[in-house]
Amino acid sequence: MHDHDHDHHDHDHDGHHHPRPASEQELRTRALEAVLVEKGIVTSDAIDAIIDRYVNDVGPQNGARVVARAWSDPAYRDRLLEDGTAAIAELGFAGEEGHTMVVVENTPEIHNMIVCTLCSCYPWPVLGLPPTWYKSAPYRARVVAEPRAVLNEFGVELPDAMEIRVWDSTAEVRYLVLPMRPAGTDGLGEDDLAALVTRDSMIGTGLPLAPATA
Amino acid sequence: MTDDPYLASLDLPRTNGELTFDEPWQARALGAGVIALRELGVGPVEWRDALAEAIDRHGHDPDEDPATAYYTAWLDALERIVATRTSA
Repeated sequence: MHDHDHDHHDHDHDGHHHPRPASEQELRTRALEAVLVEKGIVTSDAIDAIIDRYVNDVGPQNGARVVARAWSDPAYRDRLLEDGTAAIAELGFAGEEGHTMVVVENTPEIHNMIVCTLCSCYPWPVLGLPPTWYKSAPYRARVVAEPRAVLNEFGVELPDAMEIRVWDSTAEVRYLVLPMRPAGTDGLGEDDLAALVTRDSMIGTGLPLAPATA
Repeated sequence: MTDDPYLASLDLPRTNGELTFDEPWQARALGAGVIALRELGVGPVEWRDALAEAIDRHGHDPDEDPATAYYTAWLDALERIVATRTSA
């Protein structure tokens, strides 16, 4: 396995890529947003904030349910790591941008992070729409060069001995991090577990919540 | 969702009460619209009427995803209003 592999990228030159050509509406939306930004009517951050406020509910909960199921059901966890796409589809989550899902598991020895170094590929059927920072050039560049420093800025400090692996999303493959189940959650059911699973913990820039703080 | 005057009176595509989108651009078009309409001084009633006209123009295809149909009309109406308001 490669920690960081670009061999299979299929990027076009406007900084976006898709398993299929962008739809006409997608191109028009991008063009309209560009015009509105240029005229100072909107900012991309403000649109992100609206989406976070109103829309993102469709997103991270799906991934959180996948993680909670994997924490609760060892056979599901095995299927998830074996064939992420099929195991995620078992829960009813699939979509154009979730084509091939690869789930990478955090362990006491290995912490995984995901990025799309060239644009903003993101497993949106399970995580919703990507946060602004995920699409930002500094994150995309720095998470590869200095993942530990990036993690510190997200408030995550890992033991020095822990290996950090960075997975670069491609047109064909989108990654999802399976975080470690927090201590003190033995008695919790899937719904309670899912509430501990943050979006950032499934990108690898955060950790799940502790049960007391959820 | 209902606290936004631009969205309160609209029949946005939903499943079990949750907003549904078929592709990410649809959420982006919604977010851009909510901000741009306010900034451009387009009132909620004017927007509702413009959107209704765009939905009529788009027509009804039973094979098309409802969210795609709705947000295609949304995008069309928004493009027209932005073009009108920013060309003056």
